Amino acid sequence: MVERNGGRNGSGGEDRYSATNATERRDPEGTTGEEAMAGAIGAGSPEDIGQSTRAASDSIQQTIGADRAESGSYTFPAFDDHHPPEKDLIDDCVHCGFCLPTCPTYVLFGEEMDSPRGRIYLMNKGLTEEPMNDEMVRHWDLCLGCMACVTACPSGVQYDKLIEATRQQVERRYERRADDKAFREMIFQFFPYPNRLRAIAAPMRLYQRFGIGDKLRRAGIMQRIPSRMQAMEALLPDLPKEEKIPDLTGPVGERRRRVGVLTGCVQRVFFSPVNAATVRVLAAEGCEVVAPKQGCCGALSTHAGREEESLNFARKTIDTFEDLNLDNVVVNAAGCGSTMKEYGYLLRDDPDYAERAKAFSAKVRDVSEFLQELGPVAERNPLPVTAAYHDACHLAHAQGIRSQPRQTLKQIPGMEVKEIREAEVCCGSAGIYNMVEPEPAAELGERKANNILKTGAQVIVTSNPGCMLQIQSSLKKMGHGGLPMAHPMEVLDASLRGEPVETLLDK
Amino acid sequence: MQTQNVPTEELQGIVGEEHVREASAEDAVDGVEPSLVVEPGTIEETSEVMKLANREGLAVSPRGSGTKMGLGNPPKQVDLILSTTRMDKIIEHVPGDQIVRVQAGLRLQDLQENLAESDQMLGVDPPEEGATVGGMVAANSSGPRRLRYGTVRDLIIGIKVVLADGTVAKAGGKVVKNVAGYDLSKLFTGSLGTLGVIAEANFRLHPIRETARTVFLEVDDHAKIADAVQDLTHSSLSQFVLDALEMRWEGDRGVIAALFEGIEPAVEAQSSAATEVLRSHGESRVLGEDDGETFWEHFARRPWTTGDVGLKIGAPPSDLTAVLDSVVGAVERAGIEVRISGHAGTGVTFAGLSGGEDGLVEVVDEVREIRLRRGGSVVVQEAPLTIKERLDAWGSVGDYLGLTQRVKEKFDPEYTMNPGRFLGGI
Amino acid sequence: MDRGQLIETMQEILGPEGVIHQREELRTYECDGLMNYRVIPDLVVLPESAEQVQQIVKTCYDEGIPFVARGSGTGLSGGALPVESGVLIVLTRLRRILEVDIPNGRVVVEPGVINVWVSQEVADEGYYYAPDPASQIVSSIGGNLAENSGGVHCLKYGFTTNHVMGAEIVLPDGSVVHIGGGKSPDVPGYELLGAFVGSEGTLGIATKITLRILRQPEDVRTLLAAFKDTEEAGGAVSGIIGGGIVPAAIEMMDALTIEAVEKQISPGFPEAGAILIVELDGPEAEVEHQFEHVIRVCEENEASAIRVAEDDEERALLWKGRQAAFGAMGSISKDYYVQDGVVPRTELGAVLKKIADLSEEYGLRVANVFHAGDGNLHPLVLYDNDTPGEADKAEELAGEIVFACLEHGGSLTGEHGIGRDKMKYMPKMFTSDDMDVMQLLRCAFDPHRICNPGKIFPTPRLCGERPGPFHMHPVQKAGLAENF
Repeated sequence: MVERNGGRNGSGGEDRYSATNATERRDPEGTTGEEAMAGAIGAGSPEDIGQSTRAASDSIQQTIGADRAESGSYTFPAFDDHHPPEKDLIDDCVHCGFCLPTCPTYVLFGEEMDSPRGRIYLMNKGLTEEPMNDEMVRHWDLCLGCMACVTACPSGVQYDKLIEATRQQVERRYERRADDKAFREMIFQFFPYPNRLRAIAAPMRLYQRFGIGDKLRRAGIMQRIPSRMQAMEALLPDLPKEEKIPDLTGPVGERRRRVGVLTGCVQRVFFSPVNAATVRVLAAEGCEVVAPKQGCCGALSTHAGREEESLNFARKTIDTFEDLNLDNVVVNAAGCGSTMKEYGYLLRDDPDYAERAKAFSAKVRDVSEFLQELGPVAERNPLPVTAAYHDACHLAHAQGIRSQPRQTLKQIPGMEVKEIREAEVCCGSAGIYNMVEPEPAAELGERKANNILKTGAQVIVTSNPGCMLQIQSSLKKMGHGGLPMAHPMEVLDASLRGEPVETLLDK
Repeated sequence: MQTQNVPTEELQGIVGEEHVREASAEDAVDGVEPSLVVEPGTIEETSEVMKLANREGLAVSPRGSGTKMGLGNPPKQVDLILSTTRMDKIIEHVPGDQIVRVQAGLRLQDLQENLAESDQMLGVDPPEEGATVGGMVAANSSGPRRLRYGTVRDLIIGIKVVLADGTVAKAGGKVVKNVAGYDLSKLFTGSLGTLGVIAEANFRLHPIRETARTVFLEVDDHAKIADAVQDLTHSSLSQFVLDALEMRWEGDRGVIAALFEGIEPAVEAQSSAATEVLRSHGESRVLGEDDGETFWEHFARRPWTTGDVGLKIGAPPSDLTAVLDSVVGAVERAGIEVRISGHAGTGVTFAGLSGGEDGLVEVVDEVREIRLRRGGSVVVQEAPLTIKERLDAWGSVGDYLGLTQRVKEKFDPEYTMNPGRFLGGI
Repeated sequence: MDRGQLIETMQEILGPEGVIHQREELRTYECDGLMNYRVIPDLVVLPESAEQVQQIVKTCYDEGIPFVARGSGTGLSGGALPVESGVLIVLTRLRRILEVDIPNGRVVVEPGVINVWVSQEVADEGYYYAPDPASQIVSSIGGNLAENSGGVHCLKYGFTTNHVMGAEIVLPDGSVVHIGGGKSPDVPGYELLGAFVGSEGTLGIATKITLRILRQPEDVRTLLAAFKDTEEAGGAVSGIIGGGIVPAAIEMMDALTIEAVEKQISPGFPEAGAILIVELDGPEAEVEHQFEHVIRVCEENEASAIRVAEDDEERALLWKGRQAAFGAMGSISKDYYVQDGVVPRTELGAVLKKIADLSEEYGLRVANVFHAGDGNLHPLVLYDNDTPGEADKAEELAGEIVFACLEHGGSLTGEHGIGRDKMKYMPKMFTSDDMDVMQLLRCAFDPHRICNPGKIFPTPRLCGERPGPFHMHPVQKAGLAENF
């Protein structure tokens, strides 16, 4: 335990990351009571939960207002027998409300139906009395699946299982409005298939190179394109040249582990340098790295409730990796890692895969988690830079991994890591959320961007491609599009290779 | 002045012959002489008296030691003085729970003496000597230690009242933490006997502090007072450390005084720290416990005597300089003498004015006008009758007057209790 | 006005995003933190400004429609339970901190501001807002005002009512008044503000609230002491307070609670029959001296372990274990029913024994966590709703515990309020005269009885009536002990 100065205004922050407890951030300004309260809901500090002193948000229109996408679909009873949200899990909720201040939609809209407590309540009513209709679905759709509520809940309600089961039911039993349906189908025709993504990436590169988006904006044409397409367009990142990674990479020095890496879909198409950096880092730390030909892990589908599709992806992923004699499967995307750790639960009904899935999931590690577990050996060269670390929801809330990425950064000499206020509140990426619900996503993105800018950091570091896209896009809208972003592995890679700080800052 | 036919015999039947006497000039309330003074010995008797008064359409003024009968406007009518002095027992004192239950007629100083035997005290230290607990509650009296302990409304935890029609009702209880029902204890605090007779009250107590230090500083410019006060309140020596923070100003000299109570090492450290904080304004002096006691006996007195006009000005603490400016400026222009004291830490200032009648009225009007603009209140707590006939004791009232009247009408629809003395003509 | 017209009128005032009228959505508002009572409101409205609140209330007044105000909906007595055929006015969107006035130590906020935001806002200046109910991370200032919320630090620092300096109120007839003086002390008139705080939303709706903020104390020390049982721990409490110390906080938890908390949160509490968490704050010299005394008292009372928090982190962990106690109950029991009785501290031992006896009699476990300093108990009756009859037994047992509190000179509720939940116990604590007189106040504020009706008082009083002639309650007449 660290000795601190008496009084509440003592300086602190040096040893914030030395403890291994995942939820150990401290804010020297909070009172004891608040710190305890923040701790009680899993936040490291009172500053990490939603603090809204702004009036209600504009995007409220689509939750209660006139703009919501209604199809008039009505199914009763709401749920069928195949994996409805479990009554036992629902009963764990004692209606205390501690989840409300960490829920991004509650922070934005301030109404009960868009809080975890309210959503669970709707599920409960759906089990017994109410039908599946526009109202119910609207509020479940607006849930980001960030699981800040799971971290916050003092009763241990497993909201993640509940919302996943509910989303599956919605996909099966709710007839979406035609345009909504079409848009979602389009997303799932492209995003889980890297080759298709790459195919549209080329035209996108030209699109960007010639500044077509900006021209459309200046001509005022952009406003007339439906908001969701606008949102997608705004998310397009600046595309780097593709960096390929070899099928097999040998370790530097003695071989400590043999690991497989997931290359991802959005990651490998838009952020291939992250994969390359990951492989180099793992090799530098003594790993033999296998990068087999692979498909999608199914995270986006799982989180969207597309059951069959997600199970198929899961099976294929297990097939890809299980016979490669691996000690671990290392993942550098938070969303993917979180789903892969769940394969055991997802495939519990499949007699052919249930055991294999459990065994597979036990090997999955997030890359920061893995490196800290392994223990660093390679020499880190100084990188004197101030970085703001952004907790991806699927890393912090879903996997409870908060300290390891910070430790990874702190182990680089000269690095100063800043904490972002309202860290527990999602940036708005949330899988496909920022494409299907652009308005609340934009508000959350702006909020997150503002909090990031307040840190005064030179570079933003985060472990999820979705977050990267979202935050980049939000910063760009605010005129700060030049702020560099990096994955922890890119930072560590730069340090291991003795690169100057400019490598990070010129991204 | 006999305004009604008072049923003396019936009253004697309730409380006993020896406890009903004819009123004398001394019993007059702002010049209005009642017919009788009645002294009930129990709540039941009190209730019967009130029922009778209510039935006969009499006006009743409750009274303890009578130290504050001059508060408020002259009454429209007073037929009976209901004296509480016979009901002066401590009903229950539980030192382990730090609470006490008393009858309203008990004198505060007697209560404190009694509590001191268990090393406890009630955290209210008004300067009125001989006041009863009931009077203290009805008038919301306070003294310097209100900075630390709050006022009566922060310390009262239960009450038992007799309404105008004789109904006996209680609220609160004898535990400090209690949110059952409405907080009538607070409603009756400061109600000046216009809602009913306070018969019993329960309070939360505090331990008597081991020792004390007083730090005081003399200044020759009243603008310095507010600065010094602000410096202290925003240092680490603020509320819950400072027990009192007071000021006095007379002629052209002023004093700021701070009181620290607690254990020896603590008050030693605090008084040193206070001296440091005040250094930029001058060299302070530190008094020990005994000297401090003597000091405060004089320092906490109200700055007026009979014949003067005594004002109580409430304003945001940060506005102290403006308050002093307005008073000093007004008295200079009107050729009036003034002595000022105040609970500088909480924004309450007292001004004792002496001089010609016209000048006095002018000053009050002027100060009131300034307060109206800047927020706060100016209440006339002491004044000769001739002035009272020219000035309203309360000044302007905010938008809550209608609500206030409705509350009065519910509790005392016949206007039996102290009619005309409260604000808005209540 | 029929429902359709009401919806239209409200939408005109608030815009469509401020009015909830679809059934499923209304259902999420049918209860607050207490799930035992549910009423679907006719309509839920979410104003964003004080003016809108006023317009809503005026409309309700003109049309004779009852309304209930709600903050974050975390109350534990059903205070925000909607009224049948009424409107639920949700204040969560009035969430601005309007003014920070450090020189006068005041902050002005809207009612939807969360308790903990106030302290955060002024932390940089070295100030904080003292009342800290366990729900402070989510409960709103408006809700705190309505219930006169306490918290673990209220023994030393007082409750919400000691920290509210003024309020702008929308009265049930739609008019607006300002009570309490705000920044100026001792405003002439009745203590309307004192009567309003803790009135559980039955007298009006506060739309601006002036709060007092305090300087953060110089030094804070916290310790945990383990004892064989609650009796010994209680002895330590008496010793500490009897020694003339007013600790900033002094909390007790019994074995069952410790078990639940360890399971769910694992703060590292030692195994014990009872533990005390004591916190002292103030000037360093004072805290130092008092702390030694506290440790001595604990040792004298046979503490099996004493752990002093070395730093903020450890301190936060200790408090985390205490604050999450209710929620953690879910890990050792399917359901629980939390009570909120108060007893004089000197009677704690006797009442705890009584609770233990009752628990055995009814065959249901009761966990105890409470504010030992002011005798505010939170017995948690643990039961399983799915076992037939157990829910009723639990409620009965809870009632018996409440009666025990009253018998020993305590109160029905220390901080959760009467609401709907404890209405039936009111006659045990107050006579009908007592309640009639209290309701006179209500009549002055809400003569038409539309403001959160059906709460606090089991027998509503019609406002046209005059109080009846004095009569002694038969219980009093018979000379039976009065519950004062």
